[in-house]
Amino acid sequence: MGERITFWYGCNVLRHGDIIHSCVDILRLLGFDVQPAGGPDYCCGSSKDANQTAADGMAHRTVTKFNHLRRERVVAWCPSCHTHMTDFMGQAYPADFSLTYFVELLYEHREALAPLLKHPVPLRVLLHQHVGFNDRVEVNAKAPALLRLIPGVEVVADDYAAPGYMCAQLATVPAAMADMVRNTLRLVDAHRADAVVTVFHQCYRELCGLEAGGATQVFNYVQLLARSLGLAYPDEYKEWKKAGPHAAAVIGDARLAQVGVQFFERAMLPELIKRPVGSPGETS
Amino acid sequence: MAEHPRATGALKEFIQRETARILGACTRCGKCVEACPMARYSAPLAGADPKAVATGILAVLREEPGTAEALGWASVCVRSGSCVPACPENVNPMIMVRIARMVASGGLGGPQQIAVRADRDFFDRVRAFARLQLTEEEIRNWM
Repeated sequence: MGERITFWYGCNVLRHGDIIHSCVDILRLLGFDVQPAGGPDYCCGSSKDANQTAADGMAHRTVTKFNHLRRERVVAWCPSCHTHMTDFMGQAYPADFSLTYFVELLYEHREALAPLLKHPVPLRVLLHQHVGFNDRVEVNAKAPALLRLIPGVEVVADDYAAPGYMCAQLATVPAAMADMVRNTLRLVDAHRADAVVTVFHQCYRELCGLEAGGATQVFNYVQLLARSLGLAYPDEYKEWKKAGPHAAAVIGDARLAQVGVQFFERAMLPELIKRPVGSPGETS
Repeated sequence: MAEHPRATGALKEFIQRETARILGACTRCGKCVEACPMARYSAPLAGADPKAVATGILAVLREEPGTAEALGWASVCVRSGSCVPACPENVNPMIMVRIARMVASGGLGGPQQIAVRADRDFFDRVRAFARLQLTEEEIRNWM
């Protein structure tokens, strides 16, 4: 049995079941004994800046739960969780585990990963980069290095990196988001790229609206690794996003009943309809 | 402005220690503001003196009313981290502004000075997406 790790996937990536399932499969293919952990019960609390009493409770609870899992290493998927654990949670509460970022782990094991990537993925891709987080983990170098292991993938080099460390936060400053979208689409054109590839799910969630709007294809890098590995988890979030106001019909009545139609219409549908600020046809 | 209850716990104690360290280390040189790629997206920062902006952030950390420039900068921070290598005193201005945001949003108690995005559906939405895509067994064992 391989190294026992906790795969801390986070909260918001639960929109992308295919990414979580693919990550777990990849880790198992690399020989790890994986315990996935995420969702609200393992929240880092980084979204609670305006309520540090709640953030404290979440930090204490999550560090304690990881300590109780008695696994030496926690592998974080989410850059917010990784950053918050490093900067705050782990400073306040003693952690009995080390912390690694998912890209870092795959990069460490790239020699074992490469021969498993058997299916060609013929795409010329532009990596979507941010300025932030790269000082902690060199994702802007390591993610394209992983992509280049995939037969058929060509990564075009460009120095442009958007402010911030992920698009979900950049979206809170619409003018900055619009600049990033315009720059990204300009670079797709200039490099004749087939697709934009994101490192983080927070960027994928925002930018796959570009594909829904017909501007460019968008993928997360794990989706391309999964495709090359022969993993076939459907990207349902993108399908729902493409369906926009008709997403309920794609999801179907039986599944919709699991979450409640009223809740879906109030709390989920708006983001499926939303397109990135600054993208062609975006009206908000 | 709404007054929030005082925060408690080890996280608050760590934030207080960090605040004291930053207040002792920062020389208000303003290099962090000059390095920020987001400053141009804040109207109050147009033409502002970087040193005055940094001084305003320190005032927020002391739980004093923030200037428009300081609150404007805290409001557009998206954690690029460009300020970190720009700081000659190793303050880590990204943490400094993050804590200023916590204070200005009322997160540690005290008045709320900047807008806060309230999303009452945040966790229920995450759970709902999980119900659509994970099996019951995965939800039981992975969440």
